Amino acid sequence: MAAPPEPGEPEERKSLKLLGFLDVENTPCARHSILYGSLGSVVAGFGHFLFTSEIRRSCDVGVGGFILVTLGCWFHCRYNYAKQRIQERIAREEIKKKILYEGTHLDPERKHNGSSSN
Amino acid sequence: MAHAAQVGLQDATSPIMEELITFHDHTLMIIFLICFLVLYALFLTLTTKLTNTNISDAQEMETVWTILPAIILVLIALPSLRILYMADEVNDPSLTIKSIGHQWYWTYEYTDYGGLIFNSYMLPPLFLEPGDLRLLDVDNRVVLPIEAPIRMMITSQDVLHSWAVPTLGLKTDAIPGRLNQTTFTATRPGVYYGQCSEICGANHSFMPIVLELIPLKIFEMGPVFTL
Repeated sequence: MAAPPEPGEPEERKSLKLLGFLDVENTPCARHSILYGSLGSVVAGFGHFLFTSEIRRSCDVGVGGFILVTLGCWFHCRYNYAKQRIQERIAREEIKKKILYEGTHLDPERKHNGSSSN
Repeated sequence: MAHAAQVGLQDATSPIMEELITFHDHTLMIIFLICFLVLYALFLTLTTKLTNTNISDAQEMETVWTILPAIILVLIALPSLRILYMADEVNDPSLTIKSIGHQWYWTYEYTDYGGLIFNSYMLPPLFLEPGDLRLLDVDNRVVLPIEAPIRMMITSQDVLHSWAVPTLGLKTDAIPGRLNQTTFTATRPGVYYGQCSEICGANHSFMPIVLELIPLKIFEMGPVFTL
């Protein structure tokens, strides 16, 4: 949870906590995973019911589908989120290095141009 | 610092805390799904019309509910161990600060570049200025640079204390006769608060920790050493 936002900063979204503890608005990938999980649950459960007309078993399939689809979307989204964060960190470091060393013998661009001309 | 009635973690100010928040989100999602499954099972148990008092075994179900929790625990343990070993790395700290717990204040020693030693007492309510935080602000803050690895050596002179700063993901026990080490690298400037986290007597709640993290250039100009 963040401190109250400074003027000009985007406001934190109002938190919606599923089962009282999972904050889907402010946890990256949570909202996306739960929504796809719900869609998967409806598709799996309803699809099973259309083929078998068994209500209870279709509900079980729906719940199972929700868990599996939510987990799958969650891991996929978190993996991409982690990759994105690493790329952002690398980009930040490179920009800092560029600003710091521009014009000197340590300039990353000079090193890169030197190696490509060789 | 935390705001009133805050339940969740504070924003991260160090890479380790960012990893801890990520791990927390990951584990919370697993917990949510398990709770959802258990609630559904409970609902089924309460609404079923099937009753059979002669069921004696259910080998397949027992196999599933043994192996599945083991898999879930592995999924939680692997990231946890990764962060545990990451937090234990010591990557050539630029600065070493000693923090000594007393009843009921902290003493800080900057002995790397000179012999600066000072005490840090909580500001009593009568001495607060407008804008100061009750039970959190101190008379002398710990001033440190950002983006530089810092080593904290923590001990106590009397009873057990614990030096904790949630936003940095730090909590290290201050044990008399023992020197504990923790390292961190702050990523953004600001003033960050923590409180003693081991019961240490009557004023355990009144010995806070305040870190003032400033850019390295300004730190090098020596604001710390002009006390």
